[in-house]
This record gives sequence, structure tokens and C-alpha cells, in this order.
Amino acid sequence: MKPHSLLTSLDPATVPDALASHERAEIDASTRGPVLLFFGSAVFWLLVGSVLGLLSAWKMTHPGLLDSAAFLTFGRIRPAHLNAVIYGWASSAGIGTGLWLMARLCRVPLMHSKLLVGAAIFWNLGILVGVLGILAGDSRSVEWLEFPGYATPILFVAYACIGVWGVIMFRFRRPGHIYVSQWYLLAAFLWFPWMYATANILLVWQPVQGSAQGAVNWWFAHNVLGLWFVPIGLASAYYMIPKVIGRPIHSYYLGILGFWSLALFYGWNGMHHLIGGPFPAWMISASVVASVMMFIPVVTVAINHHMTVRGNFDALKWSPTLRFTVFGAMAYTVVSLQGISMAIPSLNALTHFTDYTVGHAHLGLYGFFSMMMFGAMYYIVPRLVGWEWPSATMIRWHFWLVATGILLMVGSLTLGGILQGLALYDPIVAFQSSLDYATPFRWLRGISGFLLLSGHVVFAALFVLMLLKIGRRREGPALFAPSDGNKPEAATA
Amino acid sequence: MTAGILLLVGGLVFLSGSALAAFCWAARDGQLLKLREAPLTIFDDDEPVGVPTDRFPSRK
Repeated sequence: MKPHSLLTSLDPATVPDALASHERAEIDASTRGPVLLFFGSAVFWLLVGSVLGLLSAWKMTHPGLLDSAAFLTFGRIRPAHLNAVIYGWASSAGIGTGLWLMARLCRVPLMHSKLLVGAAIFWNLGILVGVLGILAGDSRSVEWLEFPGYATPILFVAYACIGVWGVIMFRFRRPGHIYVSQWYLLAAFLWFPWMYATANILLVWQPVQGSAQGAVNWWFAHNVLGLWFVPIGLASAYYMIPKVIGRPIHSYYLGILGFWSLALFYGWNGMHHLIGGPFPAWMISASVVASVMMFIPVVTVAINHHMTVRGNFDALKWSPTLRFTVFGAMAYTVVSLQGISMAIPSLNALTHFTDYTVGHAHLGLYGFFSMMMFGAMYYIVPRLVGWEWPSATMIRWHFWLVATGILLMVGSLTLGGILQGLALYDPIVAFQSSLDYATPFRWLRGISGFLLLSGHVVFAALFVLMLLKIGRRREGPALFAPSDGNKPEAATA
Repeated sequence: MTAGILLLVGGLVFLSGSALAAFCWAARDGQLLKLREAPLTIFDDDEPVGVPTDRFPSRK
């Protein structure tokens, strides 16, 4: 293939059909640099974010813990944790997975890798400046947008590069059907820079006044989940599940319906965070209705993934990718249905301002998205470095540590949140006592943080061993899967 | 406040509008046809349907 300059790719006169077809391995190899760069930074920020998260969790039960320096106080550690994990870990892992999937599904080698390497550098620089800015006391106090104003333009440059790249890849794809994962990825890559810019214009550069700030805040924060993390996570699931099992998606019709209904409804969901707030009633109502409409995309995805795996659940024993991905897919169904119920005002009155919401957020971003990303990375990294994961035992440790960790965290916060909500609702119970109900569950949450951090350390160690190709060379690894149709265990002679 | 809300609602309409425009393009392009063959596009000759492509590393 003749290499394109960036200007040639953007020129409408360039004809996409001129590109030749390429083998899958060649396409994988072309993604190596940028994808490993994003994955590597994701793993780094995962560790940083986990430590910050663990510290914030323990501060909830030990208020005096490490409070000697201002940068170690809860008001700084907690937003630093949030931003490090959503932008540093989850988004970097998502971008890496998205780049690899996009190249494979467009069936062309990755183009303009310099653009992506540049994006990765800006991306990490932006996060570093942002996290240090928060710790230095420059947090903006807008949830999900705490990064100070001097960090956001750096991040925007990175986003914009990735968005432009996504459009170019889509344009130069090999002709033929657009697989459902491609739609999800294209949507994510296109919408996110735009949402991010809008939110920053309306909250930083030309701030809107009064309660409209809250509306912009939650419009953005909820869309980051629904129009950035959800599409990338589902794009991965729609590729990994059929590909690992070797069985096409159960109903492609449902897959398409799920994507388009998500695209139409999700943008309206954010205002359900402000039920009971000082907003026109129609705004809240529209958002509650759109949230309930999410039942359609959620159920279509749930049916589709379940029916595809059905009859192949033994695959969870032999495929690390599938084990993590199916955990993520199940968590997606649960967290989405839970989210829909939380948008109903009568139930929202109970759960709002309690740990229940915190549990819900972690089930979404961790139980669903992070598990999806672990699954994708277990599939992608061996194909990029040409080396098999060095230890099956370590993969199993990783899975069980994080799976128990997240279930313990979500379980304890959910139960504690309900008790806390009931106590808040009861006029006889003093406010202080409502917190006493939550405290034992916050202890459990603190313990779950240790499990998660341990799992992440195991994963980071595996990742570094992979990059350095340390360990004995193993026979019959995933990347040389047998092509005679045998189940893998049969081929491990 | 009013200007901000107008801008926000405009943003919402734009989000859904871009989805609607993409949907119309997909329909015209024939992307919504042949839904039976479409899920097979991720398989090919050396990784066909029926062949699992991932597993735990072996001990050997």
C-alpha cells in the first residue's frame, strides 16, 4: 500500500478503493506501537488510580489518616483518583482497544501512526498535568471535569487527533459490510471530543450561570459513560465473544437495533442526576423517559451476548479473554437495569446522596468496562508482541482477585447505601446516625480495595513480563490457535 | 441561564441528530440489509467459524 500523508488522507479527492487488501497479522503488526503505548500508559495509571482510590476509601473510615499535607486530604485525593482512573486507565485502555479493533475491522493496516503516537504523548502529558494540578489544589470542583483549565486543552488535542484518525480509518476501510463494533467505535471517537469541548466551553471558557452549570456537568458526565465507555466496551464484546468462541453473533438484527437505539436515546439521559434539583420539570421528565428507553439497547445486548455464549459456557474455563469479557457483559446488563431503576424519581429519592450511587458507578466503570478492557488486552497483547502470556496461574489470580474485589465493593456499598438512604428518609434518625449505618460497609469497601490493588499489581507484572518477553517460550499459545477445529485443550499435547 | 439551557438542548438535538443522519446514510448504503451474512465478516479462511481463538497459555 502506498503510504498516505495526513493531508492526502483528508483530501476528498483521494480514492479509498486504491488500498490493497492485507493479511490480519500484518494489520495487527501495524498497530503495535500506538496500541502498546496506550496500553502501557493505561496500566501505569491503573496502579496510580488504585492507590489513590484505596487511600480515599480508607479515609472514609479513618478521617485522620495521612492528613498532614494538604495534597493528601480527601478533597484532593478523591478527584485525583476519579480522573486518574477514567482518563488515565479506562480511556487509555479503551483507545488502545479501539485502535486495534478499528484497524482489524476496517481490514487495512493502521495509518498515520505518528498522529497516534503524538496523541498518546499529549494524552499522558494532559493527565499528568491534570492529576498534579488537582493534588496541588487547582481542582475545578465539577465532577468528572476536575482537571484544571490548563490541562484540558492538552487532552483535547489528543482526543481530536484520535477522532480525526478514526474518521480517516473509516474512510479508507475495505469496502463491504460495516460490522456493529465499527459503528460503536466510530460513534465513540466522533462524539467524545465534541462533548468534551462543549462541556469545557460552557463550564470553563464561557461559563454558563447558576444551576445551568449543573445541567452541563451531568449532561457531560453521564455521556462520558454512555457515549464513550459503553460504545467501546460493547464494541469489544461484540468482537471478542464471537471471535473467541468461533461462533457468529446470535442475532445481528438485535445488535444493530441495540446500537441505533443507544445512539438515539443516550444523549438525553444525564439530567436524571438532578432529579429534585432547581430545573424546569420538563427537562428532568425528558431525561427520565430517555433513561427508561435505554431498556431497549440494554436488553438487546444482553440477549445477544447470552445467546451467543449459550452452550459454550465451558469456554470460560479455557479462555482468559472470554472469562473477563463475559463478566463485563453480565455486569453491563445488571448495572444498566440498575441505572434505569435509579432514574425513576421515587427510587431515586432513596438512593440519591448515599453510597448506593458510588456502588453503581463502580459496577459500571469497573465491573463492566474495566473487565471488558482486561479481556481485550489478554487477546490483543500476545498478537502484538508475538509472545504468549507467561503464566496461566497469574491470569487466574488476577481474575479472582479483581472479581471478588469488585463484587465485595459493589455489594457492600449497595447494602450500606440502602440502609443509609432509609435512615436519611426517617425523620427520627439524626443525620450523624445515618452515617453510622454506612460505616461497617465502608470498612468492607476498604478491604475490597486491597483485593483490587493486588489484582492490578499481578496484571501489571504480567504486562511487563510480556513486553520484555521474559519467561520460557510456550507451545501452542492463543496466538497460534489450532486451525483444525479442535477445542484448545485437545491441542495442548 | 436561558442561553445556557438553549445551548445545551441544542447540543442534545445535535447528538441525536448526528445519529439520525448516520442512520439514514447507513440505510441508503445498504448497511441494514443482509443481516444474516453480516456477522460472518469477522471470520475468514484461517480463523473460520467453529475455531476458538483464545485460551490460557499451556504449561509446556
